[in-house]
Amino acid sequence: MSLLELKNISKIYGELKALDNINLSVDNGEWVAIMGPSGSGKSTMMNIIGCMDKPSMGEVLLDGVDIARESAKNLTAIRRDKIGLIFQQFHLVNYLTAVENVMVAQYYHSIPDEKEAMEALERVGLAERARHLPSQLSGGEQQRVCIARALINHPEIVLADEPTGNLDEANENIVLDLFHQLHEEHTTLIVVTHDPEVAEVAQRTITLDHGRIKSDLINENFGK
Amino acid sequence: MSKRKMFFKMITASLVRRRSRMLVALLAIAVGATILSGLVTIYIDVPRQMGAEMRNYGANMIFMASSNEAVFDRAAVEKGAALIPPDQVVGVSPYRYETVRIHEQPVVAAGTDIEQVRTTSPYWMIEGDWPSVTGDMLVGQDVAESLGLGVGDTVNVMSSDDSKEKDSEDLLNLGVDMKITGLLDTGGSEENYVYIAMEDLEGLVGPGELDVAELSISATADELSKYVDTIDAEVEEVTPRLVKRVTESESTVLTKLQALVFLVTAVVLVLTMICVATTMAAVVAERRKEIGLRKALGASDSSIIREFMGEGLLLGLVGGIVGAILGFLFAQFVSVRVFASSITFQPLMLPVTIIVSILITGAACLFPVRNATKIDPALVLKGE
Repeated sequence: MSLLELKNISKIYGELKALDNINLSVDNGEWVAIMGPSGSGKSTMMNIIGCMDKPSMGEVLLDGVDIARESAKNLTAIRRDKIGLIFQQFHLVNYLTAVENVMVAQYYHSIPDEKEAMEALERVGLAERARHLPSQLSGGEQQRVCIARALINHPEIVLADEPTGNLDEANENIVLDLFHQLHEEHTTLIVVTHDPEVAEVAQRTITLDHGRIKSDLINENFGK
Repeated sequence: MSKRKMFFKMITASLVRRRSRMLVALLAIAVGATILSGLVTIYIDVPRQMGAEMRNYGANMIFMASSNEAVFDRAAVEKGAALIPPDQVVGVSPYRYETVRIHEQPVVAAGTDIEQVRTTSPYWMIEGDWPSVTGDMLVGQDVAESLGLGVGDTVNVMSSDDSKEKDSEDLLNLGVDMKITGLLDTGGSEENYVYIAMEDLEGLVGPGELDVAELSISATADELSKYVDTIDAEVEEVTPRLVKRVTESESTVLTKLQALVFLVTAVVLVLTMICVATTMAAVVAERRKEIGLRKALGASDSSIIREFMGEGLLLGLVGGIVGAILGFLFAQFVSVRVFASSITFQPLMLPVTIIVSILITGAACLFPVRNATKIDPALVLKGE
């Protein structure tokens, strides 16, 4: 069953079509990589799926609800309840410790629970670094805090924007291993990346070009 | 952890762990609160300070005989003075004027309480010393010049009353020798008299009543008017009058000083507000990505407003407390330097300064915080 469905989506800025009649369906538990050169429409698509922008035309069905017609207030609530975000530049609050950063997501979602936040950090292998500020953590560690934060509210979709863009190979592998685990737990993953190696490990790779879907391929080697 | 606890953790961490930026805002608030607290303390205390200061310009109330009497007794003066709170009475000088003869020349002698005169007429310039014991005499400069008297001279003072001379003891007819301890220089009519202790005058001319009494009272113009009305109503023997030259100039200076303090306080508050607003605008601009992130994580506009206003109000609270304390010290410093006396602590200034600081900071934060809610959460996805 489709968790996310984009029907005839276009996003037009003046004369520019950032997205041009996109049709896409993502199943529950699927791991999708979105690739494409700069200006291909990846960011616009991420913004629309992440409830941070609305399409000029078309429908975006998330869990059966057309988020293209929701108010800004409802979009905030949907983002809070259903979507986990992972960023290329981590975007941790620099004056809060690792565990406090995880708890910020809980704070906006429901009730902050330090024990649960610690468990999330433990899962990404950072329990011992929980009381450190972001400036005291390496890039890889910061990204793992970002992942723990994205997962803490059990989102339906995890949206990752160039998650390994700022990481070395060792940390990239750690992050991809975490994605494997998430996939095994049936978390739906949508990963925007420039890196073919990151796209290769996904279940499905969609390539955008000039706002259109250039290719939509299933990775036959997935899981092997 | 409760949401409230997390809220306080976030806003305190923002202030404590981002010290350098927030210190600027805190400094602005603390300086504003210090000046507010200090100036308002002075504003409140200045009438008292000015009252004390203006006492240097002489008595501000006089008692004269009521219209149907020519003179009055000391009991009437004491009765009138008792109607004024004792802590406000700086001094009460009774005067009895009688003509005496010095070197066979008639001179008006003022019998008084010399110690009290020192408090009611502190501006008198004395060449030599104030009289300290009976038999001492203070001579006005004009009298001294016309009679050729100087400090240290001993002069024979006689009553000028012929009939008294005939009926009195020989001692009175012979007069008494008095020592001139000082010459009085005021530039006014006081230089036409000699001043001796009341006992000495009574020794010379016999017991008698008072002509006038001068009072120096440390009170505001309104209080003085009230005392005049009360004494006028309750003490029949005397008619109290305000020395308008003194009370009016005191009230004029006070009004101008208070207006100046008010103006400076208002300017400082506006400047503080501008400084805090500018700092908060810089803080919001600096934290655009953090605000974008919070919105991306699902923070509503009201959450963002609450958090930034919370930070601002916490700054206002801390700045207000620091300012209230420093403000008192500032007022104390100014008071000691300007009025040479310590200031009275105004307990109400503490909560007032803190509340005003919080309100000013809150108002200054409104515009920058409102702008924070307009930040697009998509900012964090653009990989900037």
